[in-house]
Amino acid sequence: MSPMWGSTAQYEVMHWSWAIAVYLFLAGISAGSIIVALLVKWNRHERSNSSIWDAMIKSGTLVAPVSILAGLFLLVADLGRPLSFYWLLIRFNPLSVMSLGVLFLLIYTPIVLVFTLLVFERTIVKYTWLSPLGSFIEWVKSLHSYAKTIEYFLMAAALCVGTYTGFLLSALYAIPLWNSPVLPIVFLTSSISSGIAVNILIGLVFFKSTINTESIKYLLVLDLRVIMTELPLLGIFFVGLLYGGGEVSSMAKAALSHGGLALVFWLGVIGIGLLLPLATVILALRSHVYRVGYILTNATAVLLGVLLLRYYIIYAGQIYLG
Amino acid sequence: MAKAYRLIFDENLCIGCQACNVACRLENDVPEGVYRLQVHVTTQGVFPHLGMHFERRSCVMCDEPPCVSVCPTGASFQSKDGLVHIHESQCITCKYCILACPYHARFINPVKNVVEKCTFCFDSRLSKALDPACVSVCTTEALRFGDVSQENSTVAMLSRKETLLFPKAHLGTKPKVCFIPARKGVKV
Ligand code: SF4
Ligand code: SF4
Repeated sequence: MSPMWGSTAQYEVMHWSWAIAVYLFLAGISAGSIIVALLVKWNRHERSNSSIWDAMIKSGTLVAPVSILAGLFLLVADLGRPLSFYWLLIRFNPLSVMSLGVLFLLIYTPIVLVFTLLVFERTIVKYTWLSPLGSFIEWVKSLHSYAKTIEYFLMAAALCVGTYTGFLLSALYAIPLWNSPVLPIVFLTSSISSGIAVNILIGLVFFKSTINTESIKYLLVLDLRVIMTELPLLGIFFVGLLYGGGEVSSMAKAALSHGGLALVFWLGVIGIGLLLPLATVILALRSHVYRVGYILTNATAVLLGVLLLRYYIIYAGQIYLG
Repeated sequence: MAKAYRLIFDENLCIGCQACNVACRLENDVPEGVYRLQVHVTTQGVFPHLGMHFERRSCVMCDEPPCVSVCPTGASFQSKDGLVHIHESQCITCKYCILACPYHARFINPVKNVVEKCTFCFDSRLSKALDPACVSVCTTEALRFGDVSQENSTVAMLSRKETLLFPKAHLGTKPKVCFIPARKGVKV
């Protein structure tokens, strides 16, 4: 079929750009890091204050508010009319995943901030220049008795935020590569893995905790588990699309085999994000060599992989429209 | 009583002259480079057995519009006559609806920086009981417009007589724009 007349330029615009990919990444990191911090807080056995577990809680509570606020800023800035964003707050469409997302974020963000204040309370009290906040801190202190309830709510809200970013895309049946029920699970899993990675990274760098062989081994095993969940999930996602029939199959095939974008997937998402960490973890666990360097490399590679996954999905969906 | 609008595009009558496209641009002040409506013309077959294919591309005014259900602010809405419109002042240009439309009918008006699409010329013509601009200028009467609930309207009679195809019907969007496919195939 040879085109003779008609413009297709309008159909080739990338309406959601890298900014949305980075937002999805940041929202995922925020939810993931708080989920991991809470799990560690609930499950760790010894209550020593200088363990790596403690550092992971602290970095989780630090990363979560910073990344969600940065993400929200990016999201609003990327709107065609950023100054009209208040319509999102005064209107609610229960059918729209975007509206639901706004609701989740409105619940999630304040709870994260309160939780951060609770965890860093002692540090805050130490700084005298923060004393004007005194009454506020007193109020936060009074929340201590509800700490557990706040934590449960936070966990639920974080799970919602981590999952909604997937439903945001999968709700659109106009886009074959997004319209998969597996996508939200893939996104949630990869956001938890980015949460682990970022907590390890920030924990090691900023909260110089005593690093012993045991904790390194634990973290590496944790890494291994996440990768072994994510790889098959991505497999299921694409197998589902490839067997989807008609244009779904052909679009998935094209997205996996054509041009630079396929390279982003195979090299970036699979190679750097999953196989490289997998190889280092297996090597380290086999030879019983536990170096901090391994963990740092792994965490960085995992984060890069998670970012590239969001980038790949956002662009592939819009390019391979069918 | 609520209207049941229908727009029928007869591929057998279309000659690809783009009069409808031009009329739409003039009527609705559509900026250069973007289209509310265009007829894509392609040649099919192998010489000497060639045929022309005309595909009318625009918003098809879904009865079940995904663009409306995804809009977080209610800027995209459906009127009681089932027409889908956009409140410009409430649109934050999040572009969610553009991605949700299976017909790729929506675009950003580069001048107003707001989402736009075909409205059946509602404000300027339809609300004054005039046909949409494209229908009124069609040189071969390949475009017919009206209310199918009115038994003796042209569209109702055509609907009874012809085989109508609704684009991407399997999606369940229930378009109000449909077409009569070319009767002559390309002999290969
Ligand atoms: S064709 Fe697209 S823009 Fe028009 S009503 Fe249907 S979904 Fe909405
Ligand atoms: S771009 Fe405007 S009309 Fe479309 S979904 Fe967003 S707010 Fe609604």
